[in-house]
Amino acid sequence: MMGSSKPDILWSPHHADRYVICDSELSLYRIGAVGTSEAKAGALLLSEETAATLLAINSDTPYMKCVAWYPKHEPECLLAVGQANGRVVLTSLGQSHNSKCKELVGKEFVPKHARQCNTLAWNPVDSNWLAAGLDKHRADFSVLIWDISSKYSPEAVPAEKLRLSGDADSGMVVTKPLYELGQNDACLSLCWLPRDHQKLLLAGMHRNLAIFDLRNTSQKTFVNTKAIQGVTVDPYFQDRVASFFEGQVAIWDLRRFEKPVFTLTEQPKPLTKVAWCPTRMGLLATLTRDSNVIRLYDMQHAPTPIGDETEPTIIERGVQPCSENVISSFAWHPSTQNRMVVVSPNRAMSDFTVFERISLAWSSTTSLMWACGRHLYECTEESTGGGAAEKDIATKMRERAQSRYGHDTVQLWRNHLLAGGTDPQLRSLWYTLHYILHRLSQYTEDLEQRQQGSKQSLIYSGIKNIIKSSSGTTESRRCWKGSDRPTDVAQYHSEERSLALQLCGWISCGPDVDVEPFLKSLEQEGEWERAASVALFNLDIRRAIQILNKGASAEKGDLNLNVVAMALSGYTDEKTSLWREMCSSLRLQLKKPYLCVMFAFLTSEPGSYDAVLYESRVAVRDRVAFACMFLNDNQLPRYIDKLTNEMKEVGNLEGILLTGLTKDGVDLMESYVDRTGDVQTASFCMLRGSTPEVVKDPRVQCWIENYRNLLDAWRFWHKRAEFDIHRSKLDPSSKPLAQVFVSCNFCGKSISFSCSAMPHQGRGFSQYGVSGSPTKSKVTSCPGCRKPLPRCALCLMNMGTPVSACTGTGKSDEKVDLPRDKKLAQFNNWFTWCHNCRHGGHAGHMLSWFRDHSECPVSACTCKCMQLDTTGNLQPSDNV
Amino acid sequence: MELHILEHSLKVASIAKEGIQICTHGLIKLAFLPSKTRCKFFSLTETPEDYTIIVDEDGFKELPQSEYLSVADATWLALNVVSGGGSAASSQPIGVTKIAKSVIAPLADHNISVFMLSTYQTDFILVRERDLPMVMHTLSSEFTLLRVVNGETVAANCSGVTNGFVKPKLVPRPIIHPLSSPSNMFCVTSLDPDTLPSVATLLMDVMFYSGGGKEMGAQNEDSGHIRFFSFSLIEGYISLVMDEQTTRRFPNNVLFTSASGELWKMVRIGGQPLGFDECGIVAQISEPLATADIPAYYISTFKFDHALVPEENIQSVIGALRTNESTGQ
Repeated sequence: MMGSSKPDILWSPHHADRYVICDSELSLYRIGAVGTSEAKAGALLLSEETAATLLAINSDTPYMKCVAWYPKHEPECLLAVGQANGRVVLTSLGQSHNSKCKELVGKEFVPKHARQCNTLAWNPVDSNWLAAGLDKHRADFSVLIWDISSKYSPEAVPAEKLRLSGDADSGMVVTKPLYELGQNDACLSLCWLPRDHQKLLLAGMHRNLAIFDLRNTSQKTFVNTKAIQGVTVDPYFQDRVASFFEGQVAIWDLRRFEKPVFTLTEQPKPLTKVAWCPTRMGLLATLTRDSNVIRLYDMQHAPTPIGDETEPTIIERGVQPCSENVISSFAWHPSTQNRMVVVSPNRAMSDFTVFERISLAWSSTTSLMWACGRHLYECTEESTGGGAAEKDIATKMRERAQSRYGHDTVQLWRNHLLAGGTDPQLRSLWYTLHYILHRLSQYTEDLEQRQQGSKQSLIYSGIKNIIKSSSGTTESRRCWKGSDRPTDVAQYHSEERSLALQLCGWISCGPDVDVEPFLKSLEQEGEWERAASVALFNLDIRRAIQILNKGASAEKGDLNLNVVAMALSGYTDEKTSLWREMCSSLRLQLKKPYLCVMFAFLTSEPGSYDAVLYESRVAVRDRVAFACMFLNDNQLPRYIDKLTNEMKEVGNLEGILLTGLTKDGVDLMESYVDRTGDVQTASFCMLRGSTPEVVKDPRVQCWIENYRNLLDAWRFWHKRAEFDIHRSKLDPSSKPLAQVFVSCNFCGKSISFSCSAMPHQGRGFSQYGVSGSPTKSKVTSCPGCRKPLPRCALCLMNMGTPVSACTGTGKSDEKVDLPRDKKLAQFNNWFTWCHNCRHGGHAGHMLSWFRDHSECPVSACTCKCMQLDTTGNLQPSDNV
Repeated sequence: MELHILEHSLKVASIAKEGIQICTHGLIKLAFLPSKTRCKFFSLTETPEDYTIIVDEDGFKELPQSEYLSVADATWLALNVVSGGGSAASSQPIGVTKIAKSVIAPLADHNISVFMLSTYQTDFILVRERDLPMVMHTLSSEFTLLRVVNGETVAANCSGVTNGFVKPKLVPRPIIHPLSSPSNMFCVTSLDPDTLPSVATLLMDVMFYSGGGKEMGAQNEDSGHIRFFSFSLIEGYISLVMDEQTTRRFPNNVLFTSASGELWKMVRIGGQPLGFDECGIVAQISEPLATADIPAYYISTFKFDHALVPEENIQSVIGALRTNESTGQ
């Protein structure tokens, strides 16, 4: 008859390897690793690692409605079974019948009027107490608390009255409960409150939850709600209770019992089980009817009712412990974290561990932390000297910030050395910026060339735009140097083209178009192949050969260069010569790109230099310079456009040469930052932008702000200040406005009217900076009303300001060559005061005071000023 | 104390014995297949005269229109007293007795006709829907009035209109109608809804086929056996009232019984059909019983009322009622 009922599952409260499946009978299983229990026949596989062995079956108790496991260690397998007729029977499973257990097993607790027993709960402290929740009877109580140690009470039932109970063994029948609660109502679920074991939470049919105190049963706290099934207390937070009704779970806080703290999203099907995880805080599992999904609700960070009206942060997810199989019931393992066993209607069981969500966080210094369950893992970048793997960009930026990358404003190209000197893109970028600035300074020096003011912006706008404005190109056929033979190679000249060549760095400024200085510098750096090809492109084969020879004979030189020189010397413009044929095929096997393009140039048809122009291993600036020399007015802009788009797409900083510091350049930089995350380079580069529009671009502002935040996060405050100074020089609009003013106590006027810029520091503790000359002269009175300024709490002297305080001159006076202690002395003179107690004095005095004290220096003031300053206690991690 | 006004709109009907076969399909559906209907409140009581059906509007649709089916014209609402369970005082008076003084007497004083249905689980006091304002006015002083709306229990607002209500007449209530007490003893019991299918055929037999023609003649004998059976399925709970002989036909352990195995004797009220308008009948019986602290069940049917009292108390009950009868005359 009860075969239709779905199996439920219970873990032993103390034996972590035992559980009971109850449907029409009780079956005790032991769970173990596959290996150990495999030997036994009939072990059921629960997962890949675990199997269960059936230990015992108990079918003594038909009409079973609910079961509760005795909470104490001894007797270990004592179960209370609530039956359809309201009787509660004590039974046992797989016991060697010890005396204590024997006395209890078979004992029956009979209510006055029979009706279904809905729920059972053992008192967690006084384990003799067993609460049974029954259906409604018009004249009886719905909650009976039985004392299992109580003896049969003979006065209760005359023998003839037992005729309907049909019970011969009446000595084991108890009919007098210890307590009776809840009249004229059904009890659908109940639980003891762990905080006070005399208190019981009941859920009645008349839609209420009620808390009874057994010491005074006439008093109760109760609340009307539909959620009256399955009340269960959070084991980690004993004021938190979950109860459910149909598809809805309500979470209650017993301290504010008037309404649920929150309800979980309603499920379409009625819930059958709701259980808190005993091994993980704030994790609730719910199961609905005919479902194969257990829904988990993580309310670890859910609000308490005290912080009212905040949207609860509950993370919901579903798990499918046994894929398609419908789950009948589940039970959390009492001690293994997040583990449960689920049982399906056909009694198939499976062992399942809910995988904990992983939460992950990056630190500002490239280390990574993640937490899973009770474990915390840290992953840091290994700082091995060799560094096979490329360092993370954050590490790189940190190192570069420390080496003052970006701050060399005189010789811009040196910045790539500050960045480590290994990144070809950065090298190209800083050289480009260097050439742009260099060229620009030439223009500004030529005061008579005023009309070329437009050129000024043109230089910033990149070769792409320079070429577009080109006009008056002249074509010429030059001879190979040192030979009278004219080439059939056409070369093009224009003012713009030579400007482009200047920006490429091939030629220097002025009327001089000699590449010799450039070749010399390349030779110095040992870039033999590059130098040779540049010489060749300038139609100087002899120079090229000479460079190659030099390269071969140099220290650690490549002797192969001699061979290349030899091959080069055999150049002939005979179209059908063997030399030409062999060079054009064998050049492809050359590993060095510059050697490759040299032969490509020599063997190509006039006017079609694709093999040179699209050799991506050759630096962009060299290809662009080459294009400027050998492509005609039609080909050149097409090529430049194509190359620009390519550079923008991949975010190659070499392309800045083409785009300049324009909107186009920002686009290119955007894709560079997207690719690398290097906001540092982006910030420094774009601060050099010509027009305010470029610097004002939201992307640029975003990079700058992020870089500043990054520096702050690394506690590189001095570096950040340095960056701000650098920024304000290049972008005057970024200067922060004065945010703090000191007003006179007497006249209310600002005492700093002559100073517009003031550093602004911290939140709780502000300093007022007095910039200016290092002279010791001070104004100790308000310039407005001549009343004295407040006194320093420590030296008791009036606060003073330098007489000639004026930022305009002050800025430039703030030279680095001031002695270190004098510079500090300036800061030491700053006004500083606590926002809380309003006491203060000279910054230097205050700092030294708080080095040894925690309370305010003013007597009788107990303000802990310095502790209120969140940033005041942090130490910068960079040194000045 | 709380008084819950349930949301069922109830009809009270009578099916003549000879017409029962027309209605059996619907009745079986209502009694044994609750998942097939939306009915939440169903009660069937067989008396020698007829079958009395109390059913909500959803369930009423299951019954056919027939000349054998007579329906009381009013719509009834069920009231249910919830003690709130606080007091743990032992030996509380059971059932109707408990609410006699607090509900039934005040309603009688205000000339409100009530229809009683006691079940194993609780007592329902049925009042006409149109009397509800008066009922609420009458009982608001003693009870917290709660109304069930869409399954939610909400406080019922008792509009304090007192004008126009008749002043209660606080007069003694003599017993007007003749009483009789059949000889058979009754059980008030219930069973686990899960086991209902296993005894469904037996119950059908008891409900529809045990009323033999030969008992028809014996119905007026005061001391003779009376044919009386009541089945109700209300909000999922089953309640059964049957005589002792009938209980023996059920398998062991199916019927819920009290530990003491108590049995009840019946007091039948009325010589001729009582109708629905007369008030105070329940009060006449229950008040003396409450005074004597005798527990009782009370089941109203279409024609007569029935009180069940413990068998050991039947003599004192008759005594108490007789006293009341004589003082009334």
